[in-house]
Amino acid sequence: MHISEGILSAPVLLSGAALAAVGTAIGIKKMDYDRIPQVAILSAAFFVASLVHVPIGPTSVHLVLNGLIGLFLGWVAFPAILIGLLLQTLLFQYGGLTSLGVNCINMTLPALVCFLIFGSGVRSKNVKISLFSSFMCGFLSVFLSSLMVAFSLFFTGEHFLTVAKLVVIAHLPIMIIEGVITIFCVRFLKKVKPEILEVVYDKKY
Amino acid sequence: MTKNINPFYNIIISPRIIIFFIFILFLCSIKAHNVYAHKVYIFAWAEGDTIYTESYSGDKRVSNGVIKVFTASGDFLLEGKTDTDGNFSFKIPQQTDLKIVLEAGMGHRAEYLFRSDDIREPVKEEATPETQDGLDTIKKHSTGVSTEELRKVMEEVLDDRLNPISKRLARIEDKKNNSLTDIIGGIGYILGIMGIVIYFRNRATPKQ
Repeated sequence: MHISEGILSAPVLLSGAALAAVGTAIGIKKMDYDRIPQVAILSAAFFVASLVHVPIGPTSVHLVLNGLIGLFLGWVAFPAILIGLLLQTLLFQYGGLTSLGVNCINMTLPALVCFLIFGSGVRSKNVKISLFSSFMCGFLSVFLSSLMVAFSLFFTGEHFLTVAKLVVIAHLPIMIIEGVITIFCVRFLKKVKPEILEVVYDKKY
Repeated sequence: MTKNINPFYNIIISPRIIIFFIFILFLCSIKAHNVYAHKVYIFAWAEGDTIYTESYSGDKRVSNGVIKVFTASGDFLLEGKTDTDGNFSFKIPQQTDLKIVLEAGMGHRAEYLFRSDDIREPVKEEATPETQDGLDTIKKHSTGVSTEELRKVMEEVLDDRLNPISKRLARIEDKKNNSLTDIIGGIGYILGIMGIVIYFRNRATPKQ
């Protein structure tokens, strides 16, 4: 899902960089300094998650965890994922420096959207709603990320439908796995420290 | 009400939870030692007048990947596709450095810079025709094989033997250092950035 250097055209790279810069600025502004360790741990989780691979046919895909991060951080997901991506590029050469902005947008925007849609469902007392929202948050954010990757490649001249089908189908197992992971994390934290989910809404993230 | 300045207050009740998360991260990193599982890469080496390439996505071969060959300055030379085993070979188009690019779909791309001094011209001896004839006849009678044939045979044998070594060399040149180090380093950088931000924030708020 990381797009490498040299594939995307300049307009796409520039708009991606601009959007990511705006998002990160908003995220840093909204960041509560008391919660920085949480941001750091989620960023580290994102960094390591891309190393866990699921082989699918001729290629292999990796965990993204953007649904989980969006759920706990909201807008602050921008700096968290950006730092994770930057370190992955520098240390592992996943993705590229020029495509950093595009990759950031591709992974963070779905996280934000899913947070906005499913955030209140996750916090609800009704167990079924909470389970469903958690699963959909994890599932949909990977799905939207795949679509955005296909979109970025489309603007560089590739045929959208073929690439989109390829990326989405390849990531279907990841979507399901992430939905389950989100469910487990949400249930665990609700039992142990339910305030984590509430704080995000208190400060109007 | 004074804000609790303990930076970990908001995320943990006890250190157990932090240890739990770090443990999970560590489990993932131990399994994920093969950092190349997500990267595409291409190796190239020369045998005679042909350049052979192999394309990988992690440990798997890339079939039907697009290969493009450019000069070092970016002029397009030729294009092709890898077969089902990820191989693609072509005759050396010119004796300069070549940039060989692999595009494996889904946004993955890799490059290999093939240096022209990896290709060596067979050494041509300077000899006058008469002495060469004389030498050839002598050699033919004694060993039954001329210099030219001998040279050809030696080149083939050497190519055969050096082929796997060239491949391994190409791999080593591309590989960076131990990946577990990088994983731990990356996590360290993140925690370090966190520490710096917390430090500056604590300096900004006046101590009570």
